[in-house]
Amino acid sequence: MTEDHPKRVYTPDFLTELFRNPLDPGYADAAARKAIEGGPTGARRRVLSGITLVTLVALGFLFVVAYQQTIADAPASTKARAALVQQVQSRRTQTDQLQQQADQLGDEVSRLRERELGDAAATGLRNLEATTGLAAVKGDGARIKLGDGPTPVNAVTGERNTAARVKDTDLQLATNALWSLGAEAITINGQRLTATSTIRQAGEAILVDFQPVTTPYEVIAIGPDDLAKDFRDGYAGRFFKELVAKYGMAFDASDAHDVTLPAATELKLRVASPIPSPSAGASTSISGSVSSSPSEGGR
Amino acid sequence: MIAVLALAAGVVLGIVLGPTVPPALLPYLPIAVVAALDAVFGGVRAKLDGIFDDKQFVVSFISNVLVAGLIVYLGDQLGVGGQLSTGVVVVLGVRIFGNVAAIRRHLFRA
Repeated sequence: MTEDHPKRVYTPDFLTELFRNPLDPGYADAAARKAIEGGPTGARRRVLSGITLVTLVALGFLFVVAYQQTIADAPASTKARAALVQQVQSRRTQTDQLQQQADQLGDEVSRLRERELGDAAATGLRNLEATTGLAAVKGDGARIKLGDGPTPVNAVTGERNTAARVKDTDLQLATNALWSLGAEAITINGQRLTATSTIRQAGEAILVDFQPVTTPYEVIAIGPDDLAKDFRDGYAGRFFKELVAKYGMAFDASDAHDVTLPAATELKLRVASPIPSPSAGASTSISGSVSSSPSEGGR
Repeated sequence: MIAVLALAAGVVLGIVLGPTVPPALLPYLPIAVVAALDAVFGGVRAKLDGIFDDKQFVVSFISNVLVAGLIVYLGDQLGVGGQLSTGVVVVLGVRIFGNVAAIRRHLFRA
């Protein structure tokens, strides 16, 4: 470094300097040096331009790679998503079809059973089925409506405040209150509850017996005439009124007349297992109604 | 002219070879491109200013890409994620804009 070479001064206000003079000061320095010492000559000059060309090749290469990567990336994620959506939908229709088939077979089974069994046994069985949720029932009761409150988005963090959403515990509380008030059959959005039903939160969705239900929730119960009134005045009613006042959730309990609740979908035996038919064959062992009905009721 | 040809050669090379980027290097690619763009526009402007220097161009390109990659890596390690790379993009973006404006003044006298 010679004395006449101007010392580079960095201004304290870096950003202002950046805006005013965006060119790398190195170029000016190099030009100044060249003016004094003269540029590189001969072989050195050629080597330098060669390096520049190599750098330019690398640059073009880099741009293309980055471009191709970007192009390849975007469809990959959307493709995967589309495939997943497709899969979910096909599985869902498959489930629906299988469910329909299961319902048909169930109807057939109950028709056959009623034909084979005596009147008294069939009636007893029907009553058992009604209480356990394995058969559709009809009657008067209460209709409880629950809905999500407003879920404002926080302007600063961008997060959604989900405090006013109906939680699985709210639905559990409502159904437990209805059972304790003497309800005989309950559905949530058309899903019949049994003794082994589950109401669970899975992320943002609530699953009733693994089937998703969404707001607004309609809990229909068949039970005593003053079920709705009892529910309103009971602890559950007070709890939900509190939620309405605090979070703006929707809640309504009214009488329901002549409603039909469908049978539960899940007909899985958990503890009991079918009796292996010894020698007489399946058709005759059914007539021993005592042995077959506990296995149905014991789910 | 030769420079443009070299750039085109690089592009053709990239298309022909079609390399796959290892996943570990993927986060550095966009920021490296921005850094490279800054070097390119700086070089073009210097050329138009008549003060282009081969050594300066090569060194600024390599150091730009390396420093940008380093900052992204540092951001990852520190847990500030993309925020440091945002800083890189802002600074380089301002420089690119300024250089492009200078180039425009050279080309169109406006």
